[in-house]
Amino acid sequence: MQNIRNTLLSHLRLGNLTWKRQMCASSTSTNDSSSKILLDRVVGLVKKFDRIDAKMVTETADFRKDLSLDSLDRVELVMALEEEFAIEIPEEEADKLTCCADVAKYIALSGDKGKTTEDSL
Amino acid sequence: MSVSYIARRAAQKEKVRILYRRALKDTLNWAVHRHLFYQDASDLRERFEANKNVEDLDTIDRLIADAEGHYNKFRHPDPYIVPWAPGGSKFTRNPTPPSGIEIVYNYGREDND
Repeated sequence: MQNIRNTLLSHLRLGNLTWKRQMCASSTSTNDSSSKILLDRVVGLVKKFDRIDAKMVTETADFRKDLSLDSLDRVELVMALEEEFAIEIPEEEADKLTCCADVAKYIALSGDKGKTTEDSL
Repeated sequence: MSVSYIARRAAQKEKVRILYRRALKDTLNWAVHRHLFYQDASDLRERFEANKNVEDLDTIDRLIADAEGHYNKFRHPDPYIVPWAPGGSKFTRNPTPPSGIEIVYNYGREDND
C-alpha cells in the first residue's frame, strides 16, 4: 500500500514539477507573443466597430484620419475598448489614443501599473 | 478675434466630447439589458447629431449648458465601476504578496507521515 502511495505521489510530484516548469517557461518567453495577442484582440475589436470599414483597419491606421471617425465615434470606440478589457481609460488618455498599436501599448502599460501598485502595497 | 474664436470653439468641442462620454456611460448604467442599451445609445447619438451644424457660439454654449443640466438631473445614483478601479468590487482585493516572500505549498508533510 505504501509502495503504491509512494509511486503515485512521485508521479504526481513529477507531473506537478513539469507542469510548473512549463508555466515558468511560458510566462517568461511569451512576453512578446502576449503583446501580439493583445494587439490582435484590439484590431479584431476595431474591425467589428460598425462605423469602420474592416478592410481599412491596420495596426497603425489613425482612427480619425484613416478610418474617418469623428470625435463622438471615437468616444464610442474607447468605451467599447474599456468594456472589452475591463479597464478605465481616463478622458485625457483617451484623447491620445490614435491607432490600434497605441491602444495595445496603453492597455499593456496600465496592466503593468496595476501590478506594480499591488506590489508596493 | 479669430484666435479667441478658435480657443472657444476648441473648449466647446472638448466639453461636448466629455459630456457625450459621460452620458453614454450613464445610458449603460440605466439600461438593465444590453439590447435596451443599443436603442438608448442610438437615441442619445441622434440628440447630439441634431445640433451638429449649429454655428453660433452663444447658442452652442446654451445647448451645452442645457445638456449638462439634463445629464446632472438624470444621473445614475449607483453607477457601474470597473472591478479593479478605485471603488470597484475587486479594488485592492488579493494583492500579490510583496517581493521576497515565498509561499511553500508542500511544507514536508508528505515525507514525514
